[in-house]
Amino acid sequence: MTILKIEQVSRTFPARHGNAPTRALEPTDLVIGNNDFVTILGPSGCGKSTLLRIVAGLDRPTGGRVVLDGREVTGPGADRGMVFQSYTLFPWLTVRENIAFGLRERGVPEAERNKIADAFIRQVGLSGFENHWPKQLSGGMQQRTAIARALANDPKILLLDEPFGALDNQTRALMQEMLLGIWERDQKTVLFVTHDIEEAIFLGSRVIVMSARPGRIKAEINVDLPHPRSYKIKTTPEFVQLKERLVEEIRTEALKVAEHA
Amino acid sequence: MRPLDPVTSRQRVAYGLAFFVVFVALWSWATFGGHVSKVFLANPLTMVQEGVDLIVKQGFLFDIGMTIWRVVGGFVLAAIIAVPFGVLMGAYKPVEAFLEPFVSFARYLPASAFIPLLILWAGIGELQKLLVIFIGSVFQIILMIAVTVGTTRRDLVEAAYTLGASDRGIIRRVLLPSSAPEIAEILRLVLGWAWTYVIVAELIGSSSGIGHMITDSQALLNTGQIIFGIIVIGLIGLMSDFLFKAFNAWLFPWRLA
Repeated sequence: MTILKIEQVSRTFPARHGNAPTRALEPTDLVIGNNDFVTILGPSGCGKSTLLRIVAGLDRPTGGRVVLDGREVTGPGADRGMVFQSYTLFPWLTVRENIAFGLRERGVPEAERNKIADAFIRQVGLSGFENHWPKQLSGGMQQRTAIARALANDPKILLLDEPFGALDNQTRALMQEMLLGIWERDQKTVLFVTHDIEEAIFLGSRVIVMSARPGRIKAEINVDLPHPRSYKIKTTPEFVQLKERLVEEIRTEALKVAEHA
Repeated sequence: MRPLDPVTSRQRVAYGLAFFVVFVALWSWATFGGHVSKVFLANPLTMVQEGVDLIVKQGFLFDIGMTIWRVVGGFVLAAIIAVPFGVLMGAYKPVEAFLEPFVSFARYLPASAFIPLLILWAGIGELQKLLVIFIGSVFQIILMIAVTVGTTRRDLVEAAYTLGASDRGIIRRVLLPSSAPEIAEILRLVLGWAWTYVIVAELIGSSSGIGHMITDSQALLNTGQIIFGIIVIGLIGLMSDFLFKAFNAWLFPWRLA
């Protein structure tokens, strides 16, 4: 059982150059249950990435705490796999070695490591690229490897920080289907940050809408679209209706940001 | 010619060689044409004759061997000490805060100024020559490696942490491999500098080596030999550079992929 509890977590960045301190995140509460797929949607600068980094343990909250399976998060760990927006494959390791990085760190013997890595390589459709360097891969392939690398560690929760943000539209759509396919098959707990409304609805069982500075949760919307979902669902009336609603929510926030800029 | 337009590799070689042709032509014009006195500058032909004479009759190959051994010896000694210190300084900020001011200061101490002291401490034997190279190289390497390791991509370190890497794992499996090509480049660069130190070290209190030959030739006003010695140094430098580059390319295939 995985239950992630975010309790009154806030983050204030200290003042610099005489400016007032930046309140990136207001005290926030969120509970994520077992095998939930939660997407966090918000305009840039709403603190959604900050929240994810705090859950990952890469940033410390100014107040509040994050609890995973009853244990407070104090730093990064293998139980929370993360996929970043930037390409973070280790350039000196091949695709297979990248995916096996966490396993090797845990001391899993090489034969077993490779077996697990190869299974994930198949799962993300990279068979034949096991021995390629990251430099030889397209952006989409690199992010697929990064997802496989996080999954190979068998984390309790998968954290994704706009992982498809730098990809072109077609590749992005394919990646969404691939990720959703993995989730539908293997049942994982996922927390997915994005600023793309369609992406948030298509992937999520729940969409958390965040407001602009200071960041806080503005709305929570259940997505009751049936699984398995295919790309065709994006044109159904239910999907369009949800999209319209979220466009309104996000637009007001984006306007607020634009006015302050 | 347009800005940043590439050249083919054949053109590159041709242009590179063309420079040497132009250089030797100018030199020949100045010397054979009688524009510069023989006392000050030997002509290319004399230089080659003197060079052959040096190698055949005066055992210059032994001098070359001595100089190479001193450079490599002092440089390897410096690298063995400097690389671990540099990595530690780059990885751990308190270590950096502790050592950085001193190393930055020591880096500016000219190695040649230590020669009198080193003669006093270590005599005029091989140890003194090695120490000149060592002092000239060690602080440079430490500082440059510390900077390289310290500027390792943060997102790679963070990714490794989220994959469960320990602090030791971060150093061994992220900081070191990601800095390794840069470290090799730094060593290649500093080896080039070590060549200038070795000649200075050999100018004073030495009975062998390329630098020693150059001082001897100076006493005899044999500019042909001096120029030959300088050219030999240049050629050896070029060769070691080439070998280093080829070795680095072989060691880090992922960079060129």
